[in-house]
Amino acid sequence: MKFPSPSSAEAVIAVSGLSRHFGPKAALDDVSVFVPRGSVFGLVGENGAGKTTLIKHLLGSLKAQTGSVRVFGLDPVLDPVGVLGRVGYLSERRDLPSWMRVGEFMRYTQAFYPGWDEQYAGQLLEQFQLDPAQRIKTQSQGQQAKTGLLTSLAYRPDLLILDEPSSGLDPVVRRDILEAIIRMVAEEGRTVLFSSHLLDEVERVADHVIMLQRGRVVLNGRTEEVRRGHILAVLAFAKPPAAAPVVAGAHAVAGYGSEWRVLFGGSRLELETAAASVGARVVEERTPTLDEILVARAGGKGS
Amino acid sequence: MHVGRLAWRTPTGAMLWEIWGRHKLSFLWQGAALAASVFFAQWKEHGASKDVAPLLIMASCICFLGAYLYLLTSFAYIEVDARRVQLGFPGRLLLKPLSTARLVLAPMLFGGLVIVTVFAIWTELVLRHFGSVATSDLLLISAVLLSFFWWMQALAWSLPLLKGRVLVLLVVGLIHLLVAIPPQMPVRISSGCQWRILAALLVSAVPAAWIGLKGMREGRWEGPSRISVLWGRLGSARAQGARKSFGSAFGAQFWLEWRRQGLLLPGISGGMALLMVPGILTGLKWLGAGAGPQDEIQRMMLILPLLVLPLVLSLLMGSALARFDPLHSMGELPLYIAVRPMTNGGFVTAKLAMALATSVLTWLVMTAAFLCVALMGKETLLSKAGLVTPYGPVAFITGCVPGLLLLVIWTWRNLVAGMGAGLTGRTWIIVAFIFSRVLLLDALILLVATAASNVNFRQALLHWLTGILTVCLAAKLAVSIAAFAWGLRRNAITARAVGWIAGGWSVCGLLVAGYAGRVCNSIRQPDLWIWVALGGLLILPLADLAIAPLALAWNRHR
Amino acid sequence: MQLKISVQDGAPIYQQIVEQVKYLVAAGRLKPGDDVPPIRVLAEQLRINPNTVARAYLELEREGIVTMRQGLGTTVTQVRTPLPRREKLRILAEPADVLLANARHLNVELEEVITLLRERDAAMLPESFK
Repeated sequence: MKFPSPSSAEAVIAVSGLSRHFGPKAALDDVSVFVPRGSVFGLVGENGAGKTTLIKHLLGSLKAQTGSVRVFGLDPVLDPVGVLGRVGYLSERRDLPSWMRVGEFMRYTQAFYPGWDEQYAGQLLEQFQLDPAQRIKTQSQGQQAKTGLLTSLAYRPDLLILDEPSSGLDPVVRRDILEAIIRMVAEEGRTVLFSSHLLDEVERVADHVIMLQRGRVVLNGRTEEVRRGHILAVLAFAKPPAAAPVVAGAHAVAGYGSEWRVLFGGSRLELETAAASVGARVVEERTPTLDEILVARAGGKGS
Repeated sequence: MHVGRLAWRTPTGAMLWEIWGRHKLSFLWQGAALAASVFFAQWKEHGASKDVAPLLIMASCICFLGAYLYLLTSFAYIEVDARRVQLGFPGRLLLKPLSTARLVLAPMLFGGLVIVTVFAIWTELVLRHFGSVATSDLLLISAVLLSFFWWMQALAWSLPLLKGRVLVLLVVGLIHLLVAIPPQMPVRISSGCQWRILAALLVSAVPAAWIGLKGMREGRWEGPSRISVLWGRLGSARAQGARKSFGSAFGAQFWLEWRRQGLLLPGISGGMALLMVPGILTGLKWLGAGAGPQDEIQRMMLILPLLVLPLVLSLLMGSALARFDPLHSMGELPLYIAVRPMTNGGFVTAKLAMALATSVLTWLVMTAAFLCVALMGKETLLSKAGLVTPYGPVAFITGCVPGLLLLVIWTWRNLVAGMGAGLTGRTWIIVAFIFSRVLLLDALILLVATAASNVNFRQALLHWLTGILTVCLAAKLAVSIAAFAWGLRRNAITARAVGWIAGGWSVCGLLVAGYAGRVCNSIRQPDLWIWVALGGLLILPLADLAIAPLALAWNRHR
Repeated sequence: MQLKISVQDGAPIYQQIVEQVKYLVAAGRLKPGDDVPPIRVLAEQLRINPNTVARAYLELEREGIVTMRQGLGTTVTQVRTPLPRREKLRILAEPADVLLANARHLNVELEEVITLLRERDAAMLPESFK
């Protein structure tokens, strides 16, 4: 799926036609993503849909087999210093040096980034309630996530890439992390790309949503537009169908007897046409949440 | 899916099958190494000349040792836990409905059986050909190996998170070593005493393991021990003192490498030297104060291990330099390093600098040990030093400084030589690299042996030697230049790093050539100089270092 | 200013903010001249994208409910700039449609709905506004 791209001067991330195979399996299939400066992109999809693979391409950990990847207009493989110096990254598995203390890790990271803000780092340290003398390996999962986030935010990167920042964390820690991210977003010109399974977080924070399914981009647009492009409706059939009815344009169909709930992708007019063509009428409708859209599209029932 | 035969249907069977399943590939390699060992032994038996025989024996023993050590670790049933925090018993098994006794006995008995059997088979097939060894001695060694294996397991399964665990293991290893000392050495204990100690060790190993594992299962070892807490308090006091930043990315990366591995080589060398010094002093005393040349040589032979120790250790440790994090396998780039805005050449130069610092520190430690021996041995060495040169002991010492520099460079070279292969992160390359180096070594040995025995070959070789060495050097320079150029083009290395590496190589080469020239002049063999100089330039790593950043790039960007 | 955002709700988040601010102003909990939290602060508090808050504030400013001033923050307008009557009725038409559709659904007569509206109006405004 190709989407119109803004001028390359604006795009912080410009991925075009990217494909990646691991053996016979296609982890990414013709993926194109354009992230303009100052936006917050949410990357959603099932486990194994290719989110982490895409993120690894942005960091230069994977080389593009087909297609091109440009971050800040540079190729992360050819110029790791130019790209990574402006990127803050928090990985899903919180790959941190377990033998270091928090303070030591902060000093180590500081040496690589001239933009490190000592005062801001101190603020974050206090806010996250981290002890600089504590060894990382004795920290809990939430504390490790906060340590990782601190060392990614303290130098005020132009691009923040987060791979499942809230995974495995309790609601209090999640709240802290989300607040820190929002504070960064509020600053001029900072861009954020994050992947998450917590879709209500994505809806709240992301301007744009990209949904990957089996390595392909199936949804790409502004958050509300994506939501408004789908309708969760209840169809009433005059005659109860024998089996699950096939409704053109529906991503999921569930129900029993004469009333069937349908998640439809398209406008209201198209929904009514499709319903009429199978002999049903719309009795209830609302805008689905991202969660419902994702599950419906991933389930793949319907047509 | 049909899950295998009846044996695997029992919990014990499943545990043992897991060992097989996990280590299938390495068992293949170990089998190959053992077969090579047997092959070398057979070769020696059936028609190898007298000169090659010791080399074959050495090769056979090395193959066996390597395979055997790997075998020990394969059967030890020790794993890194899921949080990548410590090495110990596989945590998932502690939750299974199995008694602690079964968890302990299955790997210990089975592992013990395997290692004793393998050792017995090897002695039958190979050791027998190398000379007669008394059966009682073989039994003793088997028992020592078994005891050490069991104690290794017992210690690894208990006392997790304890900082001094490795130290305890070293002490235990030392005890076993002392017990196993064969009767030829001047210092030993009586045979009956040996067996009693050994029996005590064997008998206490299994309960120790059981207690340790039970403690782990009940969570007795959870949380930091009192010692760790004290240590931690000291550490945090220290950490709060040092607050200044690193100043540059190179400094930070150097600090990381130093903290990870900097003290390893000096520590082990120093530790082993510490253990060896009393032995050497006793040996010197035992030899007496004889002044004949024979006694001189014997004294030198006693001191020699101190000199050779760091070189051998650095050779063994060579691949360790490619590691970035202790809990990741060799060459595996942890994400917190891969994401740093640093060129691959930057990472490599930090490692090189750390290797240099380590080598310098190691030799300072060894010098200290050497001085210890000299001072405590009183008349034997320091006074003799004055006799070696006509200019007195001061000249002797200043003459030693270039020698020391050379040793530092040699140690550095050993550490750094295998780094490129390790940095690729691909196991097959590391194996191929080791294989090729072993082949090269064998070829050189063969060359030397043939030259020693065959006069015509020797003359032809000496005639062409300069040419051969020059061609090799030219090839090395060509590869290095190509690798540097490619690296510069792909931004894998900065021009400054290239300057440092090339400059360092040139300086070291000049040092080697200069010192070789002086030595050759003093022993009145001036034509030897060009060979030594060229050989030195060839041995000093340049192509390896030029390729290393490219290797790391290949690993970092897959 | 206490707002509650629900992602489950069909309405976009910025619209929920707009609606709630309008409610607070109408109920007198936000008086003319009161300061409304800056965009950053509200975004952090609600844990939503600051752009969404900015959009809500722009919408509120367009409807004349708040005034945004450079450097001085956002305040509830002292004097409401009168929207054309047509515009006001247009804004009210949509929630009216929803109310009437629900009423029809539940079989409630129009007269009862009007009575309900009067009751709700009385309950909403504090004494000083009547």
